[in-house]
Amino acid sequence: MTDRTDITPAAARRLLSHADSLSRRTHDAVRWPYIAFLLGLGSTTSFGTAAMTLTEGRAFGLVYVGTLAATFALLLFFLVTTQGRRAFAWSRRWTVYMACWSTAYAGAIAAVALAHGSVAWAGTTSGLVLLVTLVCAAVEARR
Amino acid sequence: MTMTEHPRHRLADPLLNPVRFSIVAALDRAEKLSFGEVRDAVEITDSALSKQVSLLEAAGFLAVGKGFVGKTPRTTLSLTRRGRAAWRGHLDALREIAGEG
Repeated sequence: MTDRTDITPAAARRLLSHADSLSRRTHDAVRWPYIAFLLGLGSTTSFGTAAMTLTEGRAFGLVYVGTLAATFALLLFFLVTTQGRRAFAWSRRWTVYMACWSTAYAGAIAAVALAHGSVAWAGTTSGLVLLVTLVCAAVEARR
Repeated sequence: MTMTEHPRHRLADPLLNPVRFSIVAALDRAEKLSFGEVRDAVEITDSALSKQVSLLEAAGFLAVGKGFVGKTPRTTLSLTRRGRAAWRGHLDALREIAGEG
């Protein structure tokens, strides 16, 4: 046990620095799969929906199946890398992340159905999916 | 004449131990961690961690959860509201001692 009279200004600075680095290191060690998942989800669904809006026929089918496959692979990655980890608990923060992504994704899917072939709509709605998930990942990384 | 209390008197007793200080520091940002994750972060043995966790739990600073992942028992650690408040107060006192407060 450290005697409280032993804590000089230099010792206090060392303790503060140690606390900060240990806290960040632990956080980074357990948090990366969650951030990678958000970035992967944003990229996959953004480029997938943009490509679906702009393609037809067999190319559309390939993009559709490819996007689904990549999303399932991403979910699998998420489940495997977070198994046994406790850092993630379904919190209000994650509900907000998923609500933001779902809303942006619904907009991008609406563009696929209602504005097929429109570069402007594809760019706007799919760009929004990417932007929203990038912001969520940045918020999560900076916590 | 008003006497100002030295910030060292506001340091939390359970956090004066370097291992307990490190355990709480590890849990500060990560919210909830498994026993193994804290052990790896603090770099101590299971028995040493177990002993310090018991003391922090008795002080009301830590909540210890028991659960299963598949058939494997898993212990989780998280800071209680009281523990988090004590940690913040402890860091504030250290900042004052360091001349940063």
